[in-house]
This record gives sequence, C-alpha cells and structure tokens, in this order.
Amino acid sequence: MDAKRLTRLALLTALALIIFTVELQLPTLAPVPGMKLGLANIITVYAVYSFSAGETAMILVVRVLLGSLIAGNMMSLAYSMAGGMLCLAGMLLLRRVIDKKHIWVCSILGAVLHNIGQTCAAIVLMQTSTVIAYLPFLLVSGCVAGALTGMAAQLVVSRMNK
Amino acid sequence: MIRSQKFWIAVCAVIFAAGLAWSIILLTMSHGDKVTVTRDGVVLYTLDLSKEPDREFTVEYEGRKNVVEIKDGRIRVKEADCPDHVCVRTGWLTAKIPIVCLPNRLVIEYADSDLDAVAG
Repeated sequence: MDAKRLTRLALLTALALIIFTVELQLPTLAPVPGMKLGLANIITVYAVYSFSAGETAMILVVRVLLGSLIAGNMMSLAYSMAGGMLCLAGMLLLRRVIDKKHIWVCSILGAVLHNIGQTCAAIVLMQTSTVIAYLPFLLVSGCVAGALTGMAAQLVVSRMNK
Repeated sequence: MIRSQKFWIAVCAVIFAAGLAWSIILLTMSHGDKVTVTRDGVVLYTLDLSKEPDREFTVEYEGRKNVVEIKDGRIRVKEADCPDHVCVRTGWLTAKIPIVCLPNRLVIEYADSDLDAVAG
C-alpha cells in the first residue's frame, strides 16, 4: 500500500473516531440498549463505495476498537464488533447490486444488519433470547438512522468524485 | 430482480413496517404479575409483584452492582454502576420489554403469561 493511500485511510479512521466521540456527547432518544444514530457509519458507507473490501474493513475495525477505548466501555466491544462485521459484510455484497445513486438504501440495510448482529451477540452473551424484544425498536431506529447517514455518505461520494 | 434498485427499497420498507408492527405488538401485549430477575443466564429470583412488599435488593456481577427496587407492585433498576445506565433510564418495567443491563448481564422481565395460566 502506498503512502498516499495509507494516509487517506488513516485520515478517514481519525475522522470516524472524531464523529464517534462527538456523538457520545449527544443524549440518547430512548433507553434502548444499543440504539444510536451511528454517525460514524457515514465514513464506513463512504469507504464501502470508495475503497476495497480490505481497506474498508481496516477502517472499521480500528475505529470500533479505538472507539470502545475512548468511550471507556470495553464491555460493549463485542456488540459493536458483531454488529459492525455483519453490517460491513452485508454492505460489501450489496454494493455489487446497489448503485451509487442509492447508497442510502445500502446504508439502511447495513444498519439493519448491524442491529441484527448486535442482538445476536447479546443473545449469546446474555444467554437469553428475551433481549430480542429490543430488536423491533432497533430496526425502526436503524432504518431512520441508516437512511440519514446513508444520504450524508451519498453526498460525500458524489462530491468527492467530481 | 436483485439488480433492481426498487427491489431493495421495497425490502427496506418491509423491514421498517415489520419493525413498527412488532414494536406495537410488544408494547400492547398483556402480561401477568410474575417477574424474573436473571443474571448471566441464571434465574436469580422469580417474584410475584402483586404480593411483593416494597423493598430494594442488589445484584452483583463481577464486582459491579445493580440496585433493584420494588415499589407499589412495580419493579425497576434504581442504581447501577455500569457505564451506560440504560437499565436505570428504562424506568419501571411496563410491557413485555425486558429491562436489560448489557454490561452486568442482568435481565428483568415479565414471565410468560401462558405459564401463569397453567400455574394459576
């Protein structure tokens, strides 16, 4: 990997971490475990449509790891990682069939996969399936948040390619 | 079909509608008075809220604590030393939606109403 590419990836990771940290200060709308805007995903969605699968994965893994450290909440790492990985895998597949004018659609489906992934992690770790009761609320919020971050990412992709 | 953008938009719409409907069903589902307090997959207490006196008790997990309060036939997590405090902010247990503390692996939920019918 050349220095220019490495620098771009590092910059994007730093940017994602800044967005993540700023979002930590925002109050949550509803007391649902795992519910959040996920603004840092703007970077992930942008990367999915601008970089290779491996490079996007690097940005995401480093962001999730360092993000948990910054948040001081290593206990949530398993949930974030499970959700993040499923979301990433899904979006990397979807980018083959969803074009650059519908990035927001890819982002919604990514958010939904993230919610499913984190719920599965919670079921395994908590050893109870009752936490699935939060999934419908996460799906609704995921659709809304995913659409918003996806539109933001779409804007970035179209402007950056000019 | 999967190359059609409209197909994926429809998928999103279906997921959103299903999530909404599922949420409403959960919020309006009836429940009994029996509540279970589970930590790390093990049921610690099975309580009948209609008979419980007002009291508080502490559940510990790896040195971290959740203070559970029972008052006027309702139950909630009063205090917690987890980082996110989602369990405290959930408030009183009202519907078939459990109070969950992910870091401390604590779940407070209404027991299955079907079981109540059989037991009662």
